[in-house]
Amino acid sequence: MIGPGTLIAGLLTIAILTFLYRDNPVYKFAESLLIGVSIGYTLVVVWSGTLVDSLFMPLFSDGRYGLLVPLLLGLMMFARLIPRASVLSRLPIAVLIGSGAGVAIPTMLEERTLKQMSATVAPLVGASGWPDFSAIVIVVGVLTTLSYFYFSRAHAGLLGVSARMGTYFLMIFFGATFGYTVMSRMSTLIGRMEFLLTDFLGLTG
Amino acid sequence: MNVETRHYAFLGLFVCVGLVMVIGLRPGVPVTADTQRMFAYIDSLPGGSTLMVSFDHEASSLPEIQPLALALLRHAFSKGHKLVGVAFLAEGTVIGYRLMQKAAAEYGRKYGQDYVYLGFRPQHVAAILTMAESVREAFPQDYLGHDYNEIECLRTVDSLGDVAAVISIADGSTTTYWMEYGQSPERLLVLAVVTAAMVTTYDPYLASGQMHAMVGGLRGAAEYERLINRSGGGERGMLAQSAAHFYVIAMIVVGNVVYFKARRKRAAS
Repeated sequence: MIGPGTLIAGLLTIAILTFLYRDNPVYKFAESLLIGVSIGYTLVVVWSGTLVDSLFMPLFSDGRYGLLVPLLLGLMMFARLIPRASVLSRLPIAVLIGSGAGVAIPTMLEERTLKQMSATVAPLVGASGWPDFSAIVIVVGVLTTLSYFYFSRAHAGLLGVSARMGTYFLMIFFGATFGYTVMSRMSTLIGRMEFLLTDFLGLTG
Repeated sequence: MNVETRHYAFLGLFVCVGLVMVIGLRPGVPVTADTQRMFAYIDSLPGGSTLMVSFDHEASSLPEIQPLALALLRHAFSKGHKLVGVAFLAEGTVIGYRLMQKAAAEYGRKYGQDYVYLGFRPQHVAAILTMAESVREAFPQDYLGHDYNEIECLRTVDSLGDVAAVISIADGSTTTYWMEYGQSPERLLVLAVVTAAMVTTYDPYLASGQMHAMVGGLRGAAEYERLINRSGGGERGMLAQSAAHFYVIAMIVVGNVVYFKARRKRAAS
């Protein structure tokens, strides 16, 4: 005997899969339900976990009046809904962008650019004295791919050869990424199939 | 009923995957160096070490994430490590809690003593930066409403510097933020458990050493299950995945043959 949760989950999974035949009301119902439940759940989690726990409780119960500042800035965001007062929303947006950029720029430069660049500049000869094939491929791949994105000169001559090589590296990357994405989607399908065959239909152990 | 070619293709995939799953064969999966590295790290930690587990995924990726997460949680609990769970995507909040509960129950681990779930915080960058200085500041209470100071397994955890590593279980780019913003003031060891679609995104971080280890996709789950000698969803799904991949390759070949034949026919006429 399957429980009500398994029954509902199984029926909704089948309802979503009916889209593979064509768009239909059963699919639309399941899709709308998913969106509604998802948004409702997120709202509850954000309300209880963020607004109540991190703002209202510390502000009104613990007397941390400094939190009035973010509360006020948050309320000013809603000024966008009133055309005559919408200018007020610029202040919290400015605070968000300013603080966000201030935090992000040095971190991005350090973690995404400098550390990645330094990882690219690896010794081309391994400890054994033989050329390190992986390091060579990385260096050639980075340089030729960058040359493909150099648009200030026509892609002719040596630059053209390099840019063409860069496109091959890009295509290999896209192919690998697409392959992994297909694998990921198949895993999702297999997960749901396992649920349907085992928990819902009881065909496998 | 208007049946088109694509319907046969979908039906073929369902039959292919379904048959293989009903037969129930479980092929051996060779363990890759990346998975071995993750296993070795968790295995080599002294018992009682604290690991932070961040559930950075949505409900839609649960079929792929669940076998991976359970394999890792089971290993950590079996070694006696203390786990601190957090979530940076609202949808992953209750999933993370349930997965931790399930794995902990299998090893008789107690909530509060051996593991705790702190719940969800929005604005993951701000949350990680706050946690780098004070986890208590970011999560004054746990998911169940207990005060941070009253939770036994959090007594030794003031900041991210007090956890051995962060394991980010992700279906998107949130792991990147752990690597970027969790490093201050001390270097934070980041381990990633990701969906297959994210593997190529994180490979450069693994190569540069910014990430210590990564396990990805259903195959990663099957490999990890083999390492911990515990069968699970990864191992069960591997043959189905191989069958599905062969089916996709066959479809690509057949599609191309049909396309080129049709083109030649058109050119001839």
